[in-house]
Amino acid sequence: MVKDMKTPLLIGALALAVLPALAQHKPIPADSIRTILLQEVAVTTKQHNHQQHLQEFHNASQVATTEELMARMPEVSFIRRGSYGMEPTIRAYSAGQVSLTLNGMRIQGACTDKMDPATIYIEPLNLQSIEVQTAGAGSMQGAAIGGSLDMKLAEANLADAPTLSGSMSSGYQSAANAILGGLKLNYATPTWGLRASGTYRKSQNYHNGNGEKVLYSQYEKANIALSGKYLLQDDLVLKADFIADDGWNIGFPALPMDVGEAKARIGSVSILRESEDRIWKRVEARIYANRIAHYMDDSARPDLPVRMDMPGLSRTSGFYLEGIASPATNHQLTLRVDASSSYLEASMTMYQEGQTPMYMLTWPNNRQLQSGVAAQYTLQAGAKTQLQINSRANISDFSVTSAEGRDQLQVFGYTETERQFFIPSVSLQASRMVYKKLKASLSAGFNGRTPTASELYGFYLFSQFDGYDYLGNPELKPEKSIQSEFTLSWQQPKVRVQATAYTSRVENYITGTYNPDLSAMTIGAKGVKVYENTDHALLTGAETSVIYNITAYTQLVSTLKYSYAQSSDGDPLPMISPLRNVTSLRKYFGDYLWVQAETEIAAAQNRTSERFMEQPTDGFMLWHLRAGYQKQTEKKVWQLNAGIENVFDVNYREHLDWGQITRPGRNLFVQLSMGF
Amino acid sequence: MWALSLITLFISGCDTSDDETPTPTITYHKIAEGSTLEADLKVEVYSTEELTTGYNPLYIKLYDPAGTQINQASINLVPMMEMADKKHASPVENPTSGQAVDGYYKGAVVFTMPSGEMGNWSLKVNIQANGKEASITLPLTIKEPAVSRLKSFVSATDGSKYFVALLQPAKPKVGVNDLEIAVYRAETMMSFPAVSNLAITVAPEMPTMSHGSPNNVNPVHTGAGHYLGKVNFTMTGLWYLHLYLYDGTGEAGKLYFEVNF
Repeated sequence: MVKDMKTPLLIGALALAVLPALAQHKPIPADSIRTILLQEVAVTTKQHNHQQHLQEFHNASQVATTEELMARMPEVSFIRRGSYGMEPTIRAYSAGQVSLTLNGMRIQGACTDKMDPATIYIEPLNLQSIEVQTAGAGSMQGAAIGGSLDMKLAEANLADAPTLSGSMSSGYQSAANAILGGLKLNYATPTWGLRASGTYRKSQNYHNGNGEKVLYSQYEKANIALSGKYLLQDDLVLKADFIADDGWNIGFPALPMDVGEAKARIGSVSILRESEDRIWKRVEARIYANRIAHYMDDSARPDLPVRMDMPGLSRTSGFYLEGIASPATNHQLTLRVDASSSYLEASMTMYQEGQTPMYMLTWPNNRQLQSGVAAQYTLQAGAKTQLQINSRANISDFSVTSAEGRDQLQVFGYTETERQFFIPSVSLQASRMVYKKLKASLSAGFNGRTPTASELYGFYLFSQFDGYDYLGNPELKPEKSIQSEFTLSWQQPKVRVQATAYTSRVENYITGTYNPDLSAMTIGAKGVKVYENTDHALLTGAETSVIYNITAYTQLVSTLKYSYAQSSDGDPLPMISPLRNVTSLRKYFGDYLWVQAETEIAAAQNRTSERFMEQPTDGFMLWHLRAGYQKQTEKKVWQLNAGIENVFDVNYREHLDWGQITRPGRNLFVQLSMGF
Repeated sequence: MWALSLITLFISGCDTSDDETPTPTITYHKIAEGSTLEADLKVEVYSTEELTTGYNPLYIKLYDPAGTQINQASINLVPMMEMADKKHASPVENPTSGQAVDGYYKGAVVFTMPSGEMGNWSLKVNIQANGKEASITLPLTIKEPAVSRLKSFVSATDGSKYFVALLQPAKPKVGVNDLEIAVYRAETMMSFPAVSNLAITVAPEMPTMSHGSPNNVNPVHTGAGHYLGKVNFTMTGLWYLHLYLYDGTGEAGKLYFEVNF
């Protein structure tokens, strides 16, 4: 087996793999779930046992951020406004349509411009896996139409004898003159364990492929994660996690403002019972709370007519209870109940010399209560067929909590701001081995999502993307989607191929509609758009991935994706990735050195939204070279990773990058880590 | 599931509610007092705010020589500006009812200029009570407010001078505000009748940002020269409240008030 040979190589290494997530504790895999496992060797050997669709390649640059890791998944794309705080999207679905959670916890961004998705609070050092669920399977996590993205945090370990382990790492990237430092400590005993990790990053303005410095692309951040575990009984574990993430001096070249400071505090306590003997094999309960404070300002920008501050705050608390049961052989039931309360506020103050400050609430103080019950039932019907039902019933209540906030919305005649939404979702998936190793899966279902706080209550939120001020509409209806997904996969140790096609029709599609009667608030804005339900939108596309183990020492991994989306009047939707391919060829030289060549190809995107006056984007092709070397001494594992990204210094931008800002040019990176 | 929502509410109980209900309290400040010669009535003049150029509600209290409050009287106010070479009155609203409310007879005076080197204001209070007539003239000090609440223009259609007073918003807020203005025509130096026949358009503007605000309601006449409408402010700061005034023959004039909050 290829894996066995590579095992020594992987010791202490951070590896990146995509595989069905249920593998961990759930015996029956589903095709609509993909996970990136960032694992250490202990997990790797276990993984060898999975005779499933399995894709693995190293996280070639350990200098990478969580966002860069996720961007490798064919389902995931990022809307980019700066080097930092990219907004993850699944397929053609935007952030509001996707459920983004951390260990199942809801985190609401505190930035009205969506510059603080929850992905920025997690460093690869404290990330265990990323689970992306498409189609109906996403409904376990929340009411969404675009699937779900859940990041699992690394946990403290237990050990037979008290053990201290850890790692130190340091890295450098040339394009942004960026440095990285990381430290991880793990103390494990038979009954309790503690884990602490810290990461510091500092990135300067990067250089693009033309050798030009991209101003306001710098950032600096520190992240601390603590996790504790205590064994209450043989099968009962108490866990506590805390993350503190502080970012500062974060530039957004595609926006007129930067972020002076962004602070996140995320904590949870959970209890987990796992036992094979019981009907409920796994039961987990978690309570959590988090607070995000985000301060946008334009103090770094020269020559502005007015100075502006835009602070935002979000507070969320909630809980969930999840259980997995096997009522009978080949039957599996997963039940989940969850509830959360999120409070949001954001304001804008503009200053001009000698004048009263101009102040308004961009997010009138508002609260969202949501609760849901979800169930997944999987039935193995014979050796070749599997059926799965996913369902969720979700109730949400939105309201504006301050008189000040309600006064503002009355300007537009909205006297009633409280809204309640009931979102049901059901999907059915059937899989069957149709021919030898060829498996076919078909799923179909319906689901929905509530409007976001911005879409309901936003007050003159300027979007640099199309240059309009956006106004919320408390009378919006929820989006409803009917969707279907078809997957073919061929699974053999030597070759693994998977191809998925999906389509969905979104009713009451929410988008900004130009209102010529309203005058723009932001200086230079083209006008005002009000969020409205439009007739419907069609989102469709396909992804394929191939893992080919050419020889025991040579591996080829290739992914291809394409999305197509348009509104009911035939106008293409904005922010849709063009055809994209990433191909990596890796060769091992012995057990300690590997070299990888990678190409990244994106076609031009000329299907652009007329409504948003979206600009077409040219195609590009990039080459990356990466290598890793490892040396093991008696007690330590030394690792060196280095490479060149964008070898030919191509000046390019992705279609989802805002503001015609091109990406970094040739980038040399190097990272050294020492594990003990 | 509602139980879950309740639990969530409980969890989030630490979130402080931002709701607040302001309780309006009116404080009357005595600005002048005196006793009439004729019937020895004691007259007290109150106001809720400092008197400034513009529309000022005035509250009168009357006492008989025994010190008992008089709640039934007819009161007529005559404000007068004494200048070096001339004198003039100003628009006035006499108490409409002969019955005091909470002991006060409410009227209003639109002072058209501040006290100062140019001249001094006085208020003559004419009283008919208990079958007797009396009067007293009390000196008043009028200040110029930080932001003007009274404008004038010469009509493009009839050549008369008009005074326009801004009554509301007195305490502007972000959101929907009541808009109230009062319009008077300077018929003579002593007569300023209320004007009831205008069509008025309102257009708020934020001069620093050069934007307006939507869904304003043009003020319409409700009586005694008062016009009521709505004005919306989308943020704090300095706003210009542009008013365009039309009579039967066309645009009589235009002006703006500054609203700064």
